Amino acid sequence: MATLFERVFKGSDEMVERAVKSLEEVSARYSDDTAVAFPDTAYYLPCIYAMTGEKVTNVGELKNIMGWIQSQMTREKKTHDIFTSGIGTACAAEVIEACKYVDGQTPYDHAPLWGHCTDAEVRELGVPLVTGDIPGFVVLIGSAPSDEEAVATVKSYQTKSIFVFLVGGIIDQVTRMGVQTGFNVRLVPEGYDLWAVSHVISVAVRAALIFGAITPGDYDGIREYTFKRVNAMVNAYEPVDDMTVACGAGAISYGFPVVTNDDNDMWRVPMSLIVQPDTTKFVETSLEARRIKLKVTNVDIPVNYANAFEGEIIRRGDMQIEADGSRKDCLELVRTRELPEVEDHKITLIGPDFDEFEVGAKINLATIVEVAGKKMQTDFESVFERKFHAYINCIEGVMHTGQRDMIRIRVSKSAYEAGFRAKHLGEVLYAKVKGEFDAVVDKCQVTVVTDPEKVTALRKEANEVFDKRDARLLSLTDETVDQFYTCIMCQAFSPSHVCIVTPERLGLCGAVSWLDAKATNELDPSGPCQVVPKTGVIDENLGKWEAVNEAVAKYSQGALDNISLYSIMEDPMTSCGCFECICGIEPFSNGVVIVNREHTGMTPLGMTFSEMASMTGGGVQTPGFMGHGKHFIASKKFMKAEGGVQRIVWLPKALKDQVADKLNATAKELYGIEDFTSMIGDETVAEDPETLVEFLSGVGHPALGLDPLM
Amino acid sequence: MPFKKTPQKFSAAIKTVEIGTGDRKIVLGGESVMPLYSFDGPIENAPKVGVEIVDTGYADAPEGLKAFYAGCDTMAEQAKKAAAMEGADFLCLRFESADPNGADTPVEDCVAAAKEVADSVDLPLVIMGCKNNEKDAQLFEKCAEALAGKNILVLAAKEENYKGVGAAAGLAYNQKVGAESSVDINLAKQLNILITQLGVSGDSIVMNPGTATAGYGFEYVVSTLERIRLAALGQNDTTLQMPIITPVASETWGVKESVTEEADIPEWGDRETRGIDMEVATAAAVLAAGSNGVILRHPQSVATVSRLIRELM
Repeated sequence: MATLFERVFKGSDEMVERAVKSLEEVSARYSDDTAVAFPDTAYYLPCIYAMTGEKVTNVGELKNIMGWIQSQMTREKKTHDIFTSGIGTACAAEVIEACKYVDGQTPYDHAPLWGHCTDAEVRELGVPLVTGDIPGFVVLIGSAPSDEEAVATVKSYQTKSIFVFLVGGIIDQVTRMGVQTGFNVRLVPEGYDLWAVSHVISVAVRAALIFGAITPGDYDGIREYTFKRVNAMVNAYEPVDDMTVACGAGAISYGFPVVTNDDNDMWRVPMSLIVQPDTTKFVETSLEARRIKLKVTNVDIPVNYANAFEGEIIRRGDMQIEADGSRKDCLELVRTRELPEVEDHKITLIGPDFDEFEVGAKINLATIVEVAGKKMQTDFESVFERKFHAYINCIEGVMHTGQRDMIRIRVSKSAYEAGFRAKHLGEVLYAKVKGEFDAVVDKCQVTVVTDPEKVTALRKEANEVFDKRDARLLSLTDETVDQFYTCIMCQAFSPSHVCIVTPERLGLCGAVSWLDAKATNELDPSGPCQVVPKTGVIDENLGKWEAVNEAVAKYSQGALDNISLYSIMEDPMTSCGCFECICGIEPFSNGVVIVNREHTGMTPLGMTFSEMASMTGGGVQTPGFMGHGKHFIASKKFMKAEGGVQRIVWLPKALKDQVADKLNATAKELYGIEDFTSMIGDETVAEDPETLVEFLSGVGHPALGLDPLM
Repeated sequence: MPFKKTPQKFSAAIKTVEIGTGDRKIVLGGESVMPLYSFDGPIENAPKVGVEIVDTGYADAPEGLKAFYAGCDTMAEQAKKAAAMEGADFLCLRFESADPNGADTPVEDCVAAAKEVADSVDLPLVIMGCKNNEKDAQLFEKCAEALAGKNILVLAAKEENYKGVGAAAGLAYNQKVGAESSVDINLAKQLNILITQLGVSGDSIVMNPGTATAGYGFEYVVSTLERIRLAALGQNDTTLQMPIITPVASETWGVKESVTEEADIPEWGDRETRGIDMEVATAAAVLAAGSNGVILRHPQSVATVSRLIRELM
């Protein structure tokens, strides 16, 4: 059995031999100063020019370049030698092709064989490649097992907008089947001989020269660019000879994976040289190997899809079916899977479809979205899941409320009559999750379950997942993570405000938790949420870190130098203006009053929410006043430096009820106080400081006994 | 106490970006002082004034402007007229009619018009679209191709279409790319980063961080431009050191002060004078806040603003 080294070396020697022979034939007929040029390119013989910087323009120079090509054929059995030999092979192939163009000949007539692609064609292909409208290109070499399969594979690539080049027998296969070819249909037959593949490499290296502005001759620069930015792939059908293996080595050296069904003397190299015995899986295997993600452009459903339908209410009388989590088992769930476990865009329905239920039926419904991606993290599951509400609501004639296993989905009669069925829920979720989170989701499949027994079983499983997630959220503390995030989403309104988002202190708007910020950062790396390493501790009690101060100085553009995350008195965090709540000190009781935006009445500070807001916003530090999110009230980090939540002396009643459970739990854990919220005043108890203090003394509020705040 | 002059020194500088070719090419940026602060340090490249030519014509234009372009049937003829304006440094072709929700002029027709202009004048060219992201992306790609080698500026790539516009204009055809955001320093910065990550060199990007007509929430514009300049110079933020260009005319000629006929509100006086005043006031203000180039429509505005710049340099 020949080793991979032997096969590559033997194949490249063969290619060089043929190049020498072609040159000899040309030399016999033409003088050294006869012109050699591909039409309409400013890059000479592009493969050779890109790798060497040499401008080959005539037969003499073409002969000379053989010396460089042969110098690449080093034969020490190292990976390096395989790569240089592979690229040498591509350049030798280009020499053979160039011989056909000597003296202005036009060897290919574009009917159907294309040969050299012009610079204009490279630019035309390059722009959509950069934008991702064409996610990549593939060259199919040899003959597929059948004409039908050849066409199926080509069509599969085309429907994914992948540009296809053909080399060898497959050209006749697609021609026989009447498939239209040409640059405009993104299916270009290059030539029957293997060396025609050099025209494809030529496109790839010119992409580096044109779009990457890489200097011709920058050997490693070209390879780095093609590896990082040119999404090309090679599919080679059996039998794969040594020369093809050598060309494959060249492709791999440029960063393009090779997929083949020939396992005869074939050496598998993970993510680079892949044996896929099932040729019908070439497309999927290739995309995965090159890590190509497909853009989802439209939502394929029979009704309209737009934000305009988000607020639509479906009345009982207009309802075709209803999934009601309070009556029947229902759920929605996002799960993270390994890449091979997910088949992209697979929509499965388990159980009867909508048309098998009576009008107005209450059904069981589980929608499970399984995602896989190299950068996917289980922490993002709940972030995606929370978006389901908006995704499903935007469907015309479908209403969605709730989350987890307490959802309600109603499908209207008109949506049903328009053809809306269970699988369309899957289509919507697929399109939206894939489209919006493509930075982390490589593949996505959706299962819709209506079978009652299965949904009941799934609900149990889902609840285990939810429990785990809740436990994870509880375990997320400022101490257990090593980074915080900035959030500067509202700098348009408040130019110098920066939120530092930590697990125990969400953004003051209440909308950005630490997990949200983390997901935002992954999805939009240059966006509003940037990583702040938790380094250079200055004072843990006040919540001061050097790195936090640096971030605040940087993102406030110098307006602030430092903040304390856990103090309301010393350099408190600033506020933009969109805080959910404001907390202000109440001097008589030695505590703080918190008021939420919805509360319009007076507070014991003698100020309403709006009056306090005018002192708190605008990105300035006002010791004694602080804007924050509702969830921060029960946090153990809430003004921790000044003694924590036991300083809270007054809350509007509605807000108190809303946070009572969590706040009581925190007070119990920190101070052993039972039913702490019963000690906190509200508008029914007092709206002035004297009455409030009287009440606090009566119930023995802990703030009265603490150190003075000021 | 005697006056002591203390120049505000910055070690960072705004990048220079060239537009056009040959003798008439212009250079934007390069200064390391606050806008128009030529007393703090040299400003080698004075702010530039461009003339906007709209492809929808001048049927609704005030009389003076209409008269200026009288007898010009094509953009090329208008361009020749505009190129002769006192103070015109460059031309800006705005293809408003390309809007699919309007006349939906095909891209080929726009490109043909742009090419004809390029063949008849030697001033640097800026191409503006119709504000429809998809159509603009196609239009800019084809214009960048047809005008290859002319070193034009396409105005502009936005967050929605920066990949297509940036790849075509900035990479494939080596033109200059405008980066348009809407009056928000962070969005301006993010777009510059995204276009740079695409592979477009920072020296090929000109920012349009958005504008408004003076009096129409204009303080946001001033504050944004000023903060961009302070970050670029004071904090050496390289992602904000691109020169700034502001299309003034397309904003100011649409506000009520510029469109209301004298017959409707006689006490406001002559419409043309009002329109020019709005244009000049806005241009002067954005130049003072940080713009390196303004795009104006009326010959009198062009003359006035270019004189203002000359006097201040």
